[in-house]
Amino acid sequence: MLRVYLMVRELIIQSTGLTKAYGSHIALDSLDIKIEHGSTGLLGPNGAGKSTFLKTILGLIQLTSGEGEVLGFDIRTQGPQIRQKIGYMPEYDALNPGMEAIHQVRYSGELIGMNPNVALQRAHQALEYVGLGEQRYRQVSTFSTGMKQATKLACALIHDPALIIADEPSNGLDAQSREFMLNTLETTVNHGQRSVLMASHLMDDVERVCENIVLLHKGKLAAQGKIEDLKAIDKEVEIHVWGSAGKLEEIMRDNGMKVRREGRIMRVGHKGDTTYNEILEAALKAGSQIRRMHDHEATLEDLFLVIMERLGHEAKGSEDLLGDL
Amino acid sequence: MAEELSQNDVSIERKSFGSEAPVTGQTKLQAAWSKSDDSEETSAQVASNQKGQIFEQIYRPWEGKLNPRWMRNWSILRHHILGIVKKGHRPWNIPTKLFIFFVIIASMTDVAMALLFGMIGEPTLYGIWGVNRDNLYGHVMGFFPRNILYYPIVAALLVGGMISEDRSHGTSAMYFSRPINRFDYATMKFLSVAIILMIIINGTLSIYYFVDILVMGKGWAWIIDTFPIFMATFLCGLILSFTYTSIGLSLSSISRGRFFPAIGLIAILMGTKAMASIIDTLFNKSVLYVISPYDSVAHVCQALIGTEMTYQHPWVWSLISITIINGLALYLLANRVSSLEVTRE
Repeated sequence: MLRVYLMVRELIIQSTGLTKAYGSHIALDSLDIKIEHGSTGLLGPNGAGKSTFLKTILGLIQLTSGEGEVLGFDIRTQGPQIRQKIGYMPEYDALNPGMEAIHQVRYSGELIGMNPNVALQRAHQALEYVGLGEQRYRQVSTFSTGMKQATKLACALIHDPALIIADEPSNGLDAQSREFMLNTLETTVNHGQRSVLMASHLMDDVERVCENIVLLHKGKLAAQGKIEDLKAIDKEVEIHVWGSAGKLEEIMRDNGMKVRREGRIMRVGHKGDTTYNEILEAALKAGSQIRRMHDHEATLEDLFLVIMERLGHEAKGSEDLLGDL
Repeated sequence: MAEELSQNDVSIERKSFGSEAPVTGQTKLQAAWSKSDDSEETSAQVASNQKGQIFEQIYRPWEGKLNPRWMRNWSILRHHILGIVKKGHRPWNIPTKLFIFFVIIASMTDVAMALLFGMIGEPTLYGIWGVNRDNLYGHVMGFFPRNILYYPIVAALLVGGMISEDRSHGTSAMYFSRPINRFDYATMKFLSVAIILMIIINGTLSIYYFVDILVMGKGWAWIIDTFPIFMATFLCGLILSFTYTSIGLSLSSISRGRFFPAIGLIAILMGTKAMASIIDTLFNKSVLYVISPYDSVAHVCQALIGTEMTYQHPWVWSLISITIINGLALYLLANRVSSLEVTRE
């Protein structure tokens, strides 16, 4: 229990002025990141620097300037030690199709430094954990996409890493497999007390598994923190209007309120407890009926779009901005 | 957990059609397969199982100790080498395994012949097949069939997918996201191929030499005379394995499949030899053999073992040629291995 308590308060990744430049192109620009123990989503549009960030925290590339630590190890000099403590689940295929799942997972354990017999024993446990207990002697080439993803996760988990980096873990999965994958990651965080850094373009998945997010944009840190806290930044009140909606919108805008309108549904920026009265007064003036009024519970998708709008992007959905890492 | 699903969990819907049943106009068939006349449902629901939890996901921690770097490298080496003979390691295909087996047997024809004629006491034929300077050279560097049908083809089969398949399957990420650096990766891949080739070439050479000593009862004087020649031939085997491996792996590192590196290696070895041979025949100039990896190694080995030279140009040129060929191949290998990606390929 003491270990759990200590880890909860622990910073697993921290960086100061982390910069990586490829010639004149700056991939990471003075990143000051602090990621706590737990589950964190890594988000950002194409070219935001997510891949470079992942390679940096794996200790695979030399920094241009700045410094950072992962699990207490220096990313400049202690790459091998970091990679021994991390379980990395790549986005793309990273399995030998001719090998049986059990031996694939065992071999990945041996590459970490586990004894062959111990790695084999642990491979059984890891495959059981990811739901492939009955299929562990099947060749990877006969696996579905979901089973391959699960095998990659088993490879990442075999040595019981302190941090699991899951790169698009639910990519290409059907609903059932996706559900299982997300459940497994949740269990790993909640019951296994391990940390997960999950890069994904599926906002629902990130919101479901992660408590925190790190949002990168053009190599810079756009936002970081708890999802709940970040959502509160952009709280809105949603109203359903009947009659003179245009006039109501105009009056509210004149009163300095931030309004987003789609037909008869409007979202008004929440400025405080007076917001509700201000809306009702404006409706009275406009002669509109407010048929429904409630606080709008923002999703991570909303939050992402709001942040991106502030950074100068126009997008209807996260799919327009997020893609392959 | 499965046994927790007891009989009580299964509720069975019983339908009785005895004499006391009310007359509804519904036939037994309809009752079994359809709710009513107009129902389109064609499946009967006579029993329903309550869903049970049969898979319990428990995260099991592990607090074992991880081995150091040499042990990780050893695991790469044994993964590739043991895959030839054992399941659960690198899956070499059946033709490769069969061909390696065939080449090992075929490479020992001189052992069999020397034994046969030595044991039946046929000195003339034993002289042809027994251990001597030329036969030792021929065991390693003989062109036909060894360096046209055996060793280059084994090398091609081995190197084909060695690195290219890591690129195409994305398994390079499995190595580099773990504490394996690129030098260790390339070195272990190189050693894996080279060791298999050395087992075939130098292993059978050693069998040839030591079986002759043991079976024919050679004396110390003979051993002292021939052992330096054997060692020189052994060194030639190492150079040959090294050269075939470096060229083959460099080709494997620049491709995404196993066909191109395999064909490329054979094409380089045979093509350069064929071209040099044509020039030599037409113009009586052997110098172009320096572009042929096989001939360069053969020339250096003739100098090392002390057999009759079959090339007119100095053997040092061939030594320089081998050095340059291997240097270029290793440079290409290092360059391409450093480009293997972790996050995407």
